Amino acid sequence: MSKLPLEGIRVLELTTGAAGPTVARVLCEFGAEVIRCETRLRGDGHRGEDPALWNKKPDFMKLQRGKKSFTVNMQTQKGRELVKQLVTKSDVVVENFGLGILEKWGLNYPQLKQINPTCILIRVKGMGCTGPHAADLTYGPNVGNTMGMTYLWNYPGATTATAEPRTQHPDFMGGVTGAFAVVLALLHRKKTGRGQWIDSAQVEIGASLLGPKYLEYSVNQRESRPEGNRSLIAAPYGPYRCKGDDRWCVIAIYTQSEWERFAGILERSGLSREDKFATHFQRIRHREKLDKWVTRWSLERDPYEVMETLQAIDVGAAVVQDVEDQFKRDPQYAARGFLVKLSEPEAGDVVTEGVPVRLSVTPGRVRGTAPLMGEHTREIAREVLGLSDKEIAALDEEQVLY
Amino acid sequence: MVHADDRLLLSGYRVLDLSGPLGFHCVKLLADFGADVVKIETPSGDEARRVPPFKNDSPHPEKSLYFLHLNANKRGITLDVEKPDGRAILFELCRTADVVIETFRPVQCAELGLTYPQLSAHNPGLVVASITPFGQSGPWRDYKATDIAGLALGNLLYLAGEPGEPPLQSPGEIAYGMASTYGAFGIAVALYHRAESGKGQHIDVSMHECAAHIAGYFIPNYGYTGTKPARASRKGEETDLYDPYPTKNGYVRIFIIPVEQWRRLVEWMGRPTSISGPEFEKMAYRRKNPEPVHKAISEFCLRYTKEELYEEGQKRRLSVTPINTVGEFMESPQVKARQTFIEVEHPVIGKYLHFGPVPRFSETPGRIVRAAPLLGEHNQEIYCGELGMSKDDLVALRASGVI
Repeated sequence: MSKLPLEGIRVLELTTGAAGPTVARVLCEFGAEVIRCETRLRGDGHRGEDPALWNKKPDFMKLQRGKKSFTVNMQTQKGRELVKQLVTKSDVVVENFGLGILEKWGLNYPQLKQINPTCILIRVKGMGCTGPHAADLTYGPNVGNTMGMTYLWNYPGATTATAEPRTQHPDFMGGVTGAFAVVLALLHRKKTGRGQWIDSAQVEIGASLLGPKYLEYSVNQRESRPEGNRSLIAAPYGPYRCKGDDRWCVIAIYTQSEWERFAGILERSGLSREDKFATHFQRIRHREKLDKWVTRWSLERDPYEVMETLQAIDVGAAVVQDVEDQFKRDPQYAARGFLVKLSEPEAGDVVTEGVPVRLSVTPGRVRGTAPLMGEHTREIAREVLGLSDKEIAALDEEQVLY
Repeated sequence: MVHADDRLLLSGYRVLDLSGPLGFHCVKLLADFGADVVKIETPSGDEARRVPPFKNDSPHPEKSLYFLHLNANKRGITLDVEKPDGRAILFELCRTADVVIETFRPVQCAELGLTYPQLSAHNPGLVVASITPFGQSGPWRDYKATDIAGLALGNLLYLAGEPGEPPLQSPGEIAYGMASTYGAFGIAVALYHRAESGKGQHIDVSMHECAAHIAGYFIPNYGYTGTKPARASRKGEETDLYDPYPTKNGYVRIFIIPVEQWRRLVEWMGRPTSISGPEFEKMAYRRKNPEPVHKAISEFCLRYTKEELYEEGQKRRLSVTPINTVGEFMESPQVKARQTFIEVEHPVIGKYLHFGPVPRFSETPGRIVRAAPLLGEHNQEIYCGELGMSKDDLVALRASGVI
């Protein structure tokens, strides 16, 4: 296989949750060697509390595939010393524990810089490393609360808070943005020889996508309210109910020519064209009637039929897919080989998402299964830390490599 | 040419921005960290100039706050790349560029003659990022899709909203955002590779695939257990301590994972007898018996404001967060302390608060040097100053609708 672009870069991962592991996962797919430090004292949030299931969690596989697991007990002085030695042999350190943990271990940036001046440290925190709420305990899904996202993700006029949208975009956006930042810092180091540290706040990364909403507040002095599926620049717009139980297809029409083609299809299927939908302005004004008119057509059809019929006339349409559709009915994921099967030693086959950015000369790849708890402890102790078998046995005995 | 400044990560890199909204956040990431970005708009202006909200609700091409947020730090020129003269000028610009970002569907790209081999013909070091709805291959590659389609196909729409009600799109164009972020990561890797090899390459990003990544763990879980979740009610049959709870002045969310957190929560609530039993320490039990849990927490939360619960909850090492409005976020002590927003001046909008560069680098922080460009603001600077055209050339190009 071809050489990967980040080959030779060693990443030391001191993380839990999802945002930190995602930074390292993305770097791993492009060639970095990732050493994930963990401990048998307690399973990581995604390994779970039950040791019998540590190596069997599919969500863990998605986050940790291709990495190495080094078990070390950070409650021991020797364990902390070993991790410091690993820092001296690493190019990048990724951490996302609560503020204060790294400090307790003697590994905050000023201390880390003393033992490895060219190292790049990224600290991923819900609220960032400074400010009165730096030490907040956060998880990806509730970072969206503070930034206004949860409030806005609702139906127009809603009087209660939104239902759980079940997405963790501050975790995954935060993770990929962190990987971007690390590669920029590596590029800078390549040119100048200098390391640095990165303060990466998930709330800020997530919030940067809501920029226009903040401008509405600061420029127009007005709070944004939930808009649901409404748009002022497209009509019809949004999910339309289709044939079947809870089946929907998104239709989004932005231009008059798209509308003409779309209305032609509906007319040929027996619906009579209505003058009040003739222009975009009229369609926005009569949006509710328009939606009913479109639904009369979509309700008779399978969502994939709606999508294919409309895409064939160059009108934007997309099935509201559930996860089963993604596996069984999405021809695009299948054609591009997006879903990747991992044969995990204990869990068996697990399917995860592939690499969604493809570089023509230096492509990344899913590099392997997720590590079993402590799978690479001995290998790393011997080959990276240079310890003898006797020393390793002693550290095992003292529950340092634990 | 641009003088490289070691204090800026991407100083000295020239980026040509041919992108639509799908690529805006990608270009923003590069621009905020020092790249010299030239935004190329059609002579009639980017469609994004027509996207609301607008300053004072006045739908003017220089007053779109959407455009304003996404196009800071760029210089802007107008150029019709569909016209032969326009194409020739674009290829001239490609000779000295490091990165081109485009979001055309592959069929459009071929029709326009702007494919990777064509763009890089005279510059083998050029990195071209194509951020598209479905990527460069596969049966859907030329299909039309905006952000909501990415959410729909990626299983983000299906899961949001109330059962029985329509699925609910997210604010913030997060499918665009994720595709753009992966695009920026790919460009960073390609530049890193180029620093060693001198070679450019083509980057293919699919929004459809990126959206699947945001949805969390549904794909690995379905493949393993066949679990197919549907939209969950806020009544919380299975979502446990994840639901919004009303307070005196709005909502909070409480997120409990390890057992110690549960114990701290019960302690804080004054050990209500209905949920103090040891069986409630198990998350699986709470999920099966949500009513007493919700009742006790709801009663507790209604006695306080969301700010009080946030402050006290975090002091007790519990993941309590307020459901803020946009304004509450902007006015929050954390945002003020971190100076998340920076004052910038725009000739039409005036002084305003712009979302600053994130994340934050200790040695090479990003910066905002200019607000979004006016339509064609830098035509003279770039066409005359850099490509050596005369003022007469500009007039002729203008008259023929090229710029």
